[in-house]
Amino acid sequence: MKYLDLAMNAASSLGAEYADIRIQKTTDQVIYLQNLSLKHVQTGVIEGYGIRVFKDGAWGFAHNKEYSEAAVLATVEKAFEIAKLSASVNKKKKLQLAPERSYIANYKTPVKIDPFDVPLAEKVDLMMEVNRTMLAYEGIRRANFYLIMHKDEKLFASTLGTRLDITYQFIDPMISATAVSDTDSQSRTFDEGGHATGWEWVLSLDLIEKAKQIAEEALIKVKADTLGAEERRSLILDPNHLGLTMHESVGHPTELDRVLGWEADYAGISFATPEKLKNFRYGSELINFVGDNTLAEGLATMGFDDDGVPGQKWHIIKDGILNEYGSTRDTAMEIGLNYSRGCNRATYYFNQPINRIPNLYLLPGTKALSPGELIADTEDGVYIQGRGSFSIDQHRINFQFGGDFFWEIKNGKLHRPLKKILYKSCNPEFWNSCDAICDERFWRPFGVVNCGKGQPPQSARMTHGSAPARFRNIRVGGSQ
Amino acid sequence: MKIEQIEQYIKTHCSADDYSLHINNRESHETRFAQNGITQHIAGPEAEIMLNVSFGTRSGACMINHVTEANLDYLIQTAEAIAKMAPEDPEFISSAPAAELAKVNNCAEATLSLSPQAMVDIVQKSIDKAIALNATVSGMCEKHIKKTCLITKNGFKGYDKFSRFGHSMTIKKGEVETKVSYEAKDFAPFNLEQEFSRLAAQAEALSEMKAFDPGKIAVILRPEALQELLWYLAWGMQRRQADEGLSPFTGQLDKPCFGEKFNLYSTLKRPEMHAPSFNGEGIPSREITWVESGVLKAMNCSRYWAKAVGAEPLSMYNFYIPGEDSSEDEMMQLVPRGLIINRFWYIRPVDMKKGELTGMTRDGVLYFEAGKVRHAVNNLRFNEIPHEMTRRVLALGSNKLSAPSANLPTMLIDDFNFVDKTSF
Repeated sequence: MKYLDLAMNAASSLGAEYADIRIQKTTDQVIYLQNLSLKHVQTGVIEGYGIRVFKDGAWGFAHNKEYSEAAVLATVEKAFEIAKLSASVNKKKKLQLAPERSYIANYKTPVKIDPFDVPLAEKVDLMMEVNRTMLAYEGIRRANFYLIMHKDEKLFASTLGTRLDITYQFIDPMISATAVSDTDSQSRTFDEGGHATGWEWVLSLDLIEKAKQIAEEALIKVKADTLGAEERRSLILDPNHLGLTMHESVGHPTELDRVLGWEADYAGISFATPEKLKNFRYGSELINFVGDNTLAEGLATMGFDDDGVPGQKWHIIKDGILNEYGSTRDTAMEIGLNYSRGCNRATYYFNQPINRIPNLYLLPGTKALSPGELIADTEDGVYIQGRGSFSIDQHRINFQFGGDFFWEIKNGKLHRPLKKILYKSCNPEFWNSCDAICDERFWRPFGVVNCGKGQPPQSARMTHGSAPARFRNIRVGGSQ
Repeated sequence: MKIEQIEQYIKTHCSADDYSLHINNRESHETRFAQNGITQHIAGPEAEIMLNVSFGTRSGACMINHVTEANLDYLIQTAEAIAKMAPEDPEFISSAPAAELAKVNNCAEATLSLSPQAMVDIVQKSIDKAIALNATVSGMCEKHIKKTCLITKNGFKGYDKFSRFGHSMTIKKGEVETKVSYEAKDFAPFNLEQEFSRLAAQAEALSEMKAFDPGKIAVILRPEALQELLWYLAWGMQRRQADEGLSPFTGQLDKPCFGEKFNLYSTLKRPEMHAPSFNGEGIPSREITWVESGVLKAMNCSRYWAKAVGAEPLSMYNFYIPGEDSSEDEMMQLVPRGLIINRFWYIRPVDMKKGELTGMTRDGVLYFEAGKVRHAVNNLRFNEIPHEMTRRVLALGSNKLSAPSANLPTMLIDDFNFVDKTSF
């Protein structure tokens, strides 16, 4: 597109040390069905461009939605002026950008059936059937189905000479059933968190069967017991649950901008400070976390980040030791890294990209171990499936998590269903308490489509993954 | 294209039985600083044009951000195509009818005229002051001008314009971290000297830290902390959720499920507060009493559910809890010991049916005993049920605007339930 060169030439002429332009069209379709009533069905198209200018160790970012030569040039000038204003403050605190080469490349999320091409009636028919299936159970008061389809079409150019053409998309179906008894209401949810793929994934999920399962489990849950006082117990966590736990307790603390204190005023900072690199025992020797923005169907797999840095794969925690961070071009140099790990992403065209969690997953155990064998090997504990309540302090140390479905384990067997279970732990105690991880046959990905961070707030996506794992001696109990 | 032109275009070209047109425009300038330097600096306009249409009880919607005739054609055609394919909606509600809206003023001239240079000067001065204290400061200086409009085929027309200025500062000196923030529609009362003095005083008060174990203890919640709890309390006060047995407020209308000292209102009468004249559904704002002397008088109620159960549609458009005149010093005299909480963080529901929440303290916790602040303590985790917590209110302080839509007092609460602690 002619505006790419126009903007980059203008930025260079003004004296920018670096500049880029991201022309981005975001198309969403969101369908929300509740109790056979379509509460929301909307297609949205948000389109425009954001221009970043780096000058004298500072950023300026201006965005616009008007496409004309005059508008593009005015936006470049605005970004440049803002960068100069920023630089006037940053005289003693100049940012630097990690070196990067230029790329001319295309990336397209592999999709067999584009969900935007599937007729709305076909999607709604499936959703209605799923809703009906859940409402057919006596005691199910509410049946929900959210379906989110998202596509970003981006053209990116930088003064390094990079030219990228990226089409990224994902789809996320989420269903839930709520059972109501005389004294309680409890929900059970099926939510894989989204995959960067097409409608074919939704068809493969057999959502009618999933609907039956979660309706039945919601009815079990509303009548289930809860645990009494908090005690130290063993926990077995399934991949869907662990996805959120690792997101909060490993993903966010290893974002380099938090480590540097750039989120001190809002999202918080990190205990995992640079002097701990290569020596801090974050977890037991079983714990290997990999950042991987090349992961197939990963929500952060998009070829390149919004710095124009390609997707990479690296160890964030290796054999339990803090190994490296997720970084961007402007954060990497602050700790002396002369490369970025490609974690700079923006949500919409009007957002300045920020340091985000990559696809981040826990490697499976290397010894053959199934979930059944893991439960059989556990005398007294709780097995947690799915996501529930989650909260963590702003240094990412102390946390409390719930879950979606719970089983008490007694003498190596699933003893009884439970509800309202909470566990409390902290970094690095929690990951050091891991003594078993099931093998790669049981590894599952889990997506996060709504990771909120930044001012102004942005919502990012990434995929986590793990096999079921066991954690010893964790404080587990019922809620109040 | 102006709003009137968009309205006319939709009126002329939309063939649906019914429609709602929602237009938002926003112009923002956002300067984000951290560790004594600017890390992000953003400016530009945003727009959203949303059209909801219906044929009979079949509905569809589309949103765009470009306003040309071609884009509006896409908007209309897409929304209409969705509606024609959608199934009949058993909970359909037609668009909002004509309504008389309250006259409101949500804009301040001082905010409208604030320049980027002036905002950078505020950031520079904030950093200079932090450096003088041998500390670092992080925060955000922001200005937003937002216009919103809702027009329906049934005759509703509403236009609101808002200004908002915000400047937040988190200081870090040694191990001490604390924060102050100013957020209001009007920039004029903002005084950086006062704000930074408050920040420095908070930091100084936190300089001596001692370990503290969780348990039930009296707390003085400053307005910023109360505000965090209130968002979640308000979110749970939904008439439909209650009527369907999903919330703690089932069967509680007109019953004293809050404490006697607790009152909660939405009001158009306080000029310092944002008060939109209507909400996104076209529910006009009026004076609303949500809780009076502990009795639950009203809950948020959508237009559909209001029609279904014969209630009035209501929306909690701002939060006003009238305070009293107890100072923090006086509050500290009322209980043997307790904690002063600056802010909460990462609040999440634990049990929707009971209304139980969890969260952490943040930005400084002070321990007091025998009427005096003794030292700072580590941050703590709570599991609490806010409406039950209001039954333990012992005293109320004077009011403060903690956000443009929240005017809240300091609150002394007995037996606040802390369940865990962290290491800082």
